[in-house]
Amino acid sequence: MCPQEIYFCFHRGAVPKWPKGTVCKTVIQRFESARHLHPSYPSHMAPRHELADRKDRLSALGVIAPPPIHVQSPKFDGSLATLFSFVRDHKVDLLDIPLFPICEAYFAYLMQSELRDLDEAAAALSALAYLLERKAWLLLPVPDPEPDFEEAMELPEPTSHEYRVAIEALQMWHEERSQLFFRAPEAGPDPYELPYTLANVGVGDLARAFERVLRKAQPEPLTTVRPRKSLQEQMKLVLLTITNEWTKLEDLITQPYTRTDAVYWFLALLELIRLGQVNARVSEDEVEFMRAGSPNPLSGRNAKRDGE
Amino acid sequence: MNAADSVEALLFVADAPATLENLSQALALTVGQVEQALEVLNERLAQQGPLHLVKLAGGYQLATKPEYGQVIANFLKPQRQRLSRSLMEVLAIVAYRQPLTMAEIDQIRGVQSDYSVKALLERRLVQELGRRHAPGRPLLYGTSQQFLHQFKLNDLSQLPELESVEPQNSLLSLPMESEVQPEA
Repeated sequence: MCPQEIYFCFHRGAVPKWPKGTVCKTVIQRFESARHLHPSYPSHMAPRHELADRKDRLSALGVIAPPPIHVQSPKFDGSLATLFSFVRDHKVDLLDIPLFPICEAYFAYLMQSELRDLDEAAAALSALAYLLERKAWLLLPVPDPEPDFEEAMELPEPTSHEYRVAIEALQMWHEERSQLFFRAPEAGPDPYELPYTLANVGVGDLARAFERVLRKAQPEPLTTVRPRKSLQEQMKLVLLTITNEWTKLEDLITQPYTRTDAVYWFLALLELIRLGQVNARVSEDEVEFMRAGSPNPLSGRNAKRDGE
Repeated sequence: MNAADSVEALLFVADAPATLENLSQALALTVGQVEQALEVLNERLAQQGPLHLVKLAGGYQLATKPEYGQVIANFLKPQRQRLSRSLMEVLAIVAYRQPLTMAEIDQIRGVQSDYSVKALLERRLVQELGRRHAPGRPLLYGTSQQFLHQFKLNDLSQLPELESVEPQNSLLSLPMESEVQPEA
């Protein structure tokens, strides 16, 4: 007996012809014991004339019956054909039947029969293939149970009809609006932009001021998610901070600040200069800023490089 | 040069609705003075000429009078962008329930609405407002300024009141854009 207490035997009496122990010792031993259990069975393969009478050998499936391989296990005891039909009709749980010994037995049958009856071997192979496929599907994990379609599925109640009045109003307004025509944005020339002056401030002066501020910036805090700030918000903050007095960039920025803060401040100042709301000048090699509209923005103490 | 003429000149060149603040800043007038000038201009335009003053999308704009619509359409041959029933339905849901996620739109309609939302996004009638603080951080959608313009609405409060829409979801409780978590 194998550990699973299963044995398979052929009812045909032919002795397997491969040397013992080379393929499957236990199976061969069981073949031999099975031969003794069924001494009346001829020791040779059935002749071809017997095979001609297919009617007697047609199984309930309407095909050639597989060879009478006997399967004995705690959960099933019977022939391979019976096991096949039981599995097909869900009368036996295939998970309780190990298929490996059956395959070994089939292999042994092939070796000992020397393929004298291909139909019979094919029938056994078909049955085994079916069992293997069914068991493979059974062994696959099933994450979700299949929905029972007989039960009514609970779908959310569509409530879009509540908006019927709104939809009708929108359709009417859309129709009315289609009768109105506005100036198209692309129809006119490029929007006129107010000229801005940087007075005596050059790009290099701005870059140096920005570099000085960046050098004094604090390291960025280690946060995973940083709230996004718009340049518009930063411009509002700058306008609230900047006064009518000339102020250096590093004095303007709220302390302490990070490199990101410095970039925001600098970009906001540039945008405000472009919009004419902030004036800039160079004084003692330092760029200073002041709110626009202040009297005489170029009246600094040491306004250099006028006209640059 | 009186204030009404100045306002008319500004509105003539404006290609988008001009707010009272914009007008008052440009004209160096108080908001009240600008409102008065707009009233004078509105009366004058209503009496004569092919233009009239339209208050929409939170501002004022000059537009042709509806009776000239057919003539202008024959001249410009604009491509009419009709909105299908499903698009209109999604738009109405977004307008009343904003900000809301795609899943909430699907739940209200009972069908998938991703195609409709995408079409409305392409037409700039709907815009992304941010993300909800929930698993998966789903996108929140709301109507845009273009929506107000396309439907000749000054603001969302002009939408008809619906009895079935719960008060907490009404337009009065709409959060400002800054209250919504911006997209990271």
